[in-house]
Amino acid sequence: MSKKYYRFFGGLLQKQEEWLNKMAEQGYRLIRVDKMMYEFEECNPDRAEYRVEYIGSKFQNDSQEYFQFLEDMGYRVFFKNINLNYSIGKVRYRPWAEKGGRIATNNTAFNKELLIVEKEKDGKPFELHTSFEDKIQYYESLRKPYAMYFVVFLLIGVLTKIPLFSLLGLIPLVPVLIYHHQVRALKKEVMSKEW
Amino acid sequence: MRDNTKGGALTEVTFFILLALYTPKHGYAIMQFIEKETKGRLLLGAGTLYGALNTLQEKGWIVPCGASDGRKKEYQITEDGKAVARTELERLHSLVITAERIIGGKYE
Repeated sequence: MSKKYYRFFGGLLQKQEEWLNKMAEQGYRLIRVDKMMYEFEECNPDRAEYRVEYIGSKFQNDSQEYFQFLEDMGYRVFFKNINLNYSIGKVRYRPWAEKGGRIATNNTAFNKELLIVEKEKDGKPFELHTSFEDKIQYYESLRKPYAMYFVVFLLIGVLTKIPLFSLLGLIPLVPVLIYHHQVRALKKEVMSKEW
Repeated sequence: MRDNTKGGALTEVTFFILLALYTPKHGYAIMQFIEKETKGRLLLGAGTLYGALNTLQEKGWIVPCGASDGRKKEYQITEDGKAVARTELERLHSLVITAERIIGGKYE
């Protein structure tokens, strides 16, 4: 018997991950995802473990390759959208992405900004990023798009002299600061610890 | 990756990946090799391994190999990679000699 849930987490990757893990603890395992829909089947409680990973800054071939790599590692992987967008044939420009991944269309990386990675619990820790350098790079890739939104809103606010736009810029500033803090904490740790 | 190629020092992850690939392996086998050889001390995340494999490919130290007929992608060390690994072995060896002289004892 499968169960469908409707949730939307947007950029709150941590919340999405926590929710999936809580479902897994209660004996529900993900079998399908859609824009806002998560379909689960019943399984033994506490069997699966989830990680949600942002891949929106990856080049399209690269995200496909990464997906395959993780599947080959024995994980189950789902592509997931980060935003809600139902329009068809839409092209989106993502200046923060790697070269070649900057223009996203519905057929490519668009609506596939996240990966949900499922591992069957085997008593070993489940971390996708283990080295400091790799973790720093990952958090920087998360910080970038929000920083871009912040700057754009701020500029529009200044240019149009409508303070509302600048105020809107404060919304993306929150994740910028969170990820910035994580990057800084990691960089500090690198200095005091050897890899 | 932060390998200091000029001085010859490799990161532990890099060196282990190079060693693993003296015989062709896919990602999961590399992870198992490292886990076994370090007795579980060094656990490598899949994302980190993926990044490291790409960096090492760009450096020309490893290459993908084997037919891509739906099988898992395997990698193999190159001649350049072997040269780098050899240099690293010599560096570590001389480091061990110095350490033994000062700390004393032979490490088996």
